[in-house]
Amino acid sequence: MHEMALMGGVFDIIKQYTADLPDKKVTRVTLVVGEMTNAVPEALEAAFEVYAKGTAVEGAELVIRRIPLTACCTACGWQGKVEEHMFICPRCSGLGLEIRSGRELYVESLEVD
Amino acid sequence: MEIQVNEGILNLNERVALENKRLFGENGLFVINIMGSPGAGKTTVLEKTIDILVNSVRLAVIEGDIYTSKDARRIEKHGVPVKQINTGGACHLDAKMVSGALGEIDLRHVDLLIIENVGNLVCPVEFNLGEDIKIAVLSITEGDDKPLKYPLLFRESAAVILNKMDLIDFTDIDMDSLRSDIKKINPGVEIFEVSARTGKGLDEWARWLIKKVREKNG
Repeated sequence: MHEMALMGGVFDIIKQYTADLPDKKVTRVTLVVGEMTNAVPEALEAAFEVYAKGTAVEGAELVIRRIPLTACCTACGWQGKVEEHMFICPRCSGLGLEIRSGRELYVESLEVD
Repeated sequence: MEIQVNEGILNLNERVALENKRLFGENGLFVINIMGSPGAGKTTVLEKTIDILVNSVRLAVIEGDIYTSKDARRIEKHGVPVKQINTGGACHLDAKMVSGALGEIDLRHVDLLIIENVGNLVCPVEFNLGEDIKIAVLSITEGDDKPLKYPLLFRESAAVILNKMDLIDFTDIDMDSLRSDIKKINPGVEIFEVSARTGKGLDEWARWLIKKVREKNG
C-alpha cells in the first residue's frame, strides 16, 4: 500500500500548483499511470479520498489515464506492445528491448473552478 | 480552468535519491538495495555474505524494518557498522529515510553499503534510494509464479538470488520455468542459486558482488 505515499506526492504537487489560487476548488485531477508501475488504480482512488477530505480537493474527480507497456528493439528497430512482461523481441528474438512507455507516474493536469 | 502540470509524483524522492547518489559517488561507495518478500531470507543471505566479504571489503549496512531492530542486532554480531531505519508503518524505504541515516555512517571508510529494504515484493521497487544496483532475493518455497506476478522488481534488479535451494526436494518448483520467466522479464540479469542456511552458492554471488564494487572503486 505505497499508494498512500504516492498520493502524498500528488497532494504536494496540487498544493504547489494551487498556492496562489486560495479561493478556487479543484474539480478534477488527472494522473498518468503506466502499466509497469506498482501503483494500483483502486488503491490510488482510496488514498485520494483520504487526502482530499476537508481540503479544496474534496469531491474532485480523479481521472487515471493508463499507459500501455511498449518497447523498442535495439537490434532490429521493432516497436510495439510488450505482452506479459516478455522482454524478448517478437521479430528478431533480440534481448535488448528498451522501454518506451509504461513507467509513467505523474500528475498531468488539474481542473480548478 | 485547466492547469497543465506534468510533474512526476516521485520527483521529490528522485531528487533526494540523486543527492544520495552524488554523496555515494564522492565517497567511492558501491551501494546495493536488497529487496524481497518477508521470510525470503534477505537477512540470512546478508549475514553470510558479510562473513565472506568482511576481510576484503569495508562494509556498512542500513537495515529497513517497519517497527523492530531485530535484523540490525543480527547484523551487528558480524562486526560491521549497521544503522536501523524504522519506517513506522510504511511498506518501503525512501530516499529521504536513507539520507537521514547516512549522517551516522562514516562513508569515507566504506567500500560497500548494503541497504536491506522492508520485506515486500511490490512497494520498495518504486522508490530509488540512490543505489547502484537493486538485488532481488526470492526463496524457492515462494513458488515459481512470483516473477511474472511481480515483474517490476525482477525487471529492475541486476541480480536475483534464489534462496533456500536446500529445500528443493520438499517443493514442486519448476526451476527451468522460474529461471526462464526471470530471464524473459530481464534478459541481462544474473541469477544465483544459493542456500543461505548451508552456505552453498554464496561464494559465487560474493565474487560477483566484489567485482562490481571494484569496478566502481577502480
